[in-house]
Amino acid sequence: MEGNEASLQSLTLARKFGEPLRAVHMEAVQPFAPDAMTALMAMVADDLDVSSVFAAGTDRGNDVMARLAARTGLPFAANCIAAEPGDPVTVVRQRWGGSLLEDALLRAPRALITVPPYAFRVTDGPAPIDVDVKPYLTRIEPEDLQVQVTGHVAAAGGGVSLAEAKVVVSGGRGVGSKEGFAIIEELAGLLGGAVGCSRVVTSAGWRPHSDQVGQTGTKIAPELYIACGISGATQHMAGCKGAKRILAINADAEAPIMQNADYAVVGDLKEIVPAISAEIRKLK
Amino acid sequence: MNPVAAAVLAVVLIVAVTLFARRAVLLYRLVRMGKPAKRFDDIPARARAEAVVVIGQSKLLQRLLPGLMHAAIFWGFIVLLPTIAIALIGVVDVHATLPWLGRQGWYALLVDIFALLVLAGVVTAFVIRKVQRPRRFAGSHSAEADLILLLIAGIVVSLFAWHASRIALGFNEYPAVWAPISGLLARPLRGASWTPYLERAAVWTHVLIILGFLVYLTYSKHLHIFLAAVNVFFGRTRARGRLEPIDFEAAEGDEVRFGAATVSDLTWKQMVDTMSCTECGRCQDVCPAFNTGKELSPKLLIMALRDQVLAEGPKALSARRSGSTPQLSPLVPNAVTDNVVWDCVTCGACVRECPVGIEHIDHIVDLRRNLVMVESRFPDEAATMLRDVDRASNPWGKPQSDRAKWAEGLGVRVLEAGEPAPDVLFWVGCAPSFDERARQGAISTAKLLKEAHVDFAILGPRESCTGDPARRMGDEYTFQKLAKNNVGTLNEAKVRKIVTTCPHCFNTIGNEYADFGGRYEVVHHTEFLAELVREGRLKPLAGERTITYHDSCYLARHNDVREAPRELAAAAGQVVEMRRNRERTFCCGAGGARMWMEERRGRPINEERVREAAGTGAETLAVACPFCTVMLDDGVRTTSAKLQVIDLATLLAEAVDRRRARDAQATSADG
Amino acid sequence: MVLADDAMALETRHLGFTISPHEECGVEEAVRMIEAAGGESVVLTLGPPEAVEQLRDAMALGIDRAIHLQTDGSEWDGEATAGAIVDAVRADEATSGPFDLVFFGNESADSGGFQVGLRVARALGRPCATGLKGVKVEGGSVRCEQEADGGRDVYAVPMPAVLTVKEGLNLPRYPSVPGRMRAARKPVAASTPARPPARLELVRLVVPAGQGRRAELLGSGAAAAPAVVEMLRSVGVL
Repeated sequence: MEGNEASLQSLTLARKFGEPLRAVHMEAVQPFAPDAMTALMAMVADDLDVSSVFAAGTDRGNDVMARLAARTGLPFAANCIAAEPGDPVTVVRQRWGGSLLEDALLRAPRALITVPPYAFRVTDGPAPIDVDVKPYLTRIEPEDLQVQVTGHVAAAGGGVSLAEAKVVVSGGRGVGSKEGFAIIEELAGLLGGAVGCSRVVTSAGWRPHSDQVGQTGTKIAPELYIACGISGATQHMAGCKGAKRILAINADAEAPIMQNADYAVVGDLKEIVPAISAEIRKLK
Repeated sequence: MNPVAAAVLAVVLIVAVTLFARRAVLLYRLVRMGKPAKRFDDIPARARAEAVVVIGQSKLLQRLLPGLMHAAIFWGFIVLLPTIAIALIGVVDVHATLPWLGRQGWYALLVDIFALLVLAGVVTAFVIRKVQRPRRFAGSHSAEADLILLLIAGIVVSLFAWHASRIALGFNEYPAVWAPISGLLARPLRGASWTPYLERAAVWTHVLIILGFLVYLTYSKHLHIFLAAVNVFFGRTRARGRLEPIDFEAAEGDEVRFGAATVSDLTWKQMVDTMSCTECGRCQDVCPAFNTGKELSPKLLIMALRDQVLAEGPKALSARRSGSTPQLSPLVPNAVTDNVVWDCVTCGACVRECPVGIEHIDHIVDLRRNLVMVESRFPDEAATMLRDVDRASNPWGKPQSDRAKWAEGLGVRVLEAGEPAPDVLFWVGCAPSFDERARQGAISTAKLLKEAHVDFAILGPRESCTGDPARRMGDEYTFQKLAKNNVGTLNEAKVRKIVTTCPHCFNTIGNEYADFGGRYEVVHHTEFLAELVREGRLKPLAGERTITYHDSCYLARHNDVREAPRELAAAAGQVVEMRRNRERTFCCGAGGARMWMEERRGRPINEERVREAAGTGAETLAVACPFCTVMLDDGVRTTSAKLQVIDLATLLAEAVDRRRARDAQATSADG
Repeated sequence: MVLADDAMALETRHLGFTISPHEECGVEEAVRMIEAAGGESVVLTLGPPEAVEQLRDAMALGIDRAIHLQTDGSEWDGEATAGAIVDAVRADEATSGPFDLVFFGNESADSGGFQVGLRVARALGRPCATGLKGVKVEGGSVRCEQEADGGRDVYAVPMPAVLTVKEGLNLPRYPSVPGRMRAARKPVAASTPARPPARLELVRLVVPAGQGRRAELLGSGAAAAPAVVEMLRSVGVL
């Protein structure tokens, strides 16, 4: 058993399949070459004779695991939010980004499974043991290095990109001013997310247009969208309706956004948002 | 008879008539080059429009001062027409005149009075243009307008001078007492030695100005004096909200006309439209886009198209003659920018105001059709909507299976395939089905219909978008797909009567589906509910709310539904009107598929209307359309106005409950 | 989400089908490349007879011809799908010559299996780069950009290659009506491959609880903060 670029969720499921867990990290091959990574994992898996391989269901995780499946002629179950060992292994997979679930059976001598981050509450446990990869690196074939990172292009403007962020904390008219966004930025930072805003805010000049979420701004589909002081006009909702979950923080319990949100807190966002940030800090 | 004069006149006449004829023939050929348009039906209605709008000057008289001014000049010219013949005769023979008419005293009186009216009209026109300076003239060619007014003044002044000098010389063929004004002017001329020269000079001036004007007419906006009558005659006589469909199944070899890309794509009616424009700017004055700082001005649009027609039309004509393909530049962005095309909300205020019958919406939609269907060039945010309408059958992109969710718990019957049709089919529309604010009106309507024991049902998931947003955007292809589908569903179920809460659905199903085999009696929910109230099947009690009602464009203007909603408003509370009401209503900003586009320039249209509503002092803004509900509610929120936006059905339901509560109290008090 | 009676598929009576957004970007990229450099493009799908609509949509964007691997509507898992595609590609290359590039969507919007493109690449013995947001042909190889770490990693992949792309690669054009009318007449080669037994076998579909949005009130004012944090933990954000 091993984990790759371990997300806490994938570790949680992997532990069910046996302990101790061994881990191989995505940074093992530098610069990153997916086929080489796959070759490395195949060798380690064979040498350790593991019954299953888990990885986080990130783009890179799924890529490498799918290659591993193709290379070793095995089936591969991606984005599993539940898995039980057995013969066959039973999994529950996400479809439609999680709007639909699939119960499936995985019939293979070795189970290849990825687990999406943010899918469920994690349980803690012993950390996996890192495998010493140095001896394997010398055995990587040149053709596995054909597809390899040759360079890197920086994103325009640092920080988490709004379109890609898994968590977006967004502010509207209720934030009140440019300075008012400090609490929004704080919460976004603590959650590893990006800051967004509504059109009213960009018109007022409190945030740049690149932060605007909406029909004429950026359309986003994060795991979680926290809308602070945003009324929820149709054009704004068009930009964030793809969000998996929406938390609305608004003083007006009748605001249209309340009908489009999964969770709501009614009250003054200037008190609520810092309180949430403080609560999160207590955890860390 | 003066042979020299005759000869000179003959030459001048030949020159003038030739120049006039050449230009007139060119303009005629340009119109004939236009693509076909079916405008020959219902001749009686067309004749009526002619009588009311042209002869009666009805649209112009809505603005009293300019209306009277123009009527004076217009009627004046009709009366003065024979004086042209009299003048032509008089140039050649100082003692001859038109047989019979030239000797009629009553005619001389008419001429005097109307000539003075024309002069008064011209003076008034100058006062309006130079002193009052209305904004509607922004962008119009004022030098040209001034010249035309001066020429008219010149014609009338020279006419007076001629008549006055003739009376002074005793040449009048009618009793001078019948021409008091000319008689008055004649007094200082009696006995003066130069009066005979004045007489000749005046008549020659008069004739030369007229002939010169005749030619100038064909090169200026004054062309409207010929074309306005024609354009009004060929205007829509019914179903103003109906757009002309495209026949996609055109035979191989005939090219399908996907709207208008170049001048050669315009229909002949559109050609006449562009040539009829007088640059008066009444359309610009009422355009919601223009009045909130957008680029679109309906007047400038038509002027630009006219300029392009005149610039490139001749090229197209000569190419046709030689059998080659003309190199014509695209109308967008050369004559008209993309912004102008997309700014339009298709509210129809411009079409309604236009005294010469220009139908601006047809131009905009044809430009859009080409941009969307051929060039795929339109605002990005609308692409999502078009895709959703095409693939999900509704512009929200939400699952059709959720369409009846709004009615959960209301006990509304969903008509399944194969079941017999109810008396009335309640066509809900996409907005109430999927938008939480827009659905209030539908919920109230369903409750009221049940209370009145109306036999009705909804189609639920079998109802798809009528296609209106796609059609107004120019995507006629997607629209027709949806229309045919809906007509199939409705016809299969043998539906005969439909009630709907959405004016756009009302317009499309009622006016446009007939082109696809769908003929139903379609009623708007306000009309239906008002009928129920009149019949006593619903009993409301008016409350204390002050209500101002916002007329939806697709009800009040495109379809003449204005009073039924007011009956409901009056049954629910105390009504106060906005200045721009009924057919002069100001759009909420959602039409023309703009509900799915964002306004990037100027002030938001919905906020403008909300400010007007708030200005009446009313607490409630009553609406009859789910789009108006959403747009105006957004406007209330962004302007923090003290208004509640509520659908008339909901207000009526409140009023019915109020009455029931009062009656219950009354009986319990008795018992 | 409404399931069909046997819970084996979505109830499709009132649904319209469409191309996944990732795949649509792949189609658009292919059309652009052929427009720039000349050549021929082919679109392929594995699906029931109705899927021919999506092939026509792709051809309306400018693809020259289509291959339709027809199924009876039942699900094919990722391995089986890839196998059928490999056979079809090999058959087409035998008659019409090799493909310089084969585009896939990164993952299908519906089953999200993530593996078809990579399996096809492995079977054909061609290099593959995934999740691409930037693609540019440079000589005999392709410069690929993949999102990573607040920027993009760049790969140079020699052709012939297989690329899986993501929505955001380009903005697909809105098909013109003349394009759609032409697409109705373009050729579609249909065949019916046999379905091998699945090693990742679908048992049933389940609609997760809590669909549809009815806001759960977590509290009022600053006092709601602990409840919010609890929610964040339960959904895995913290």
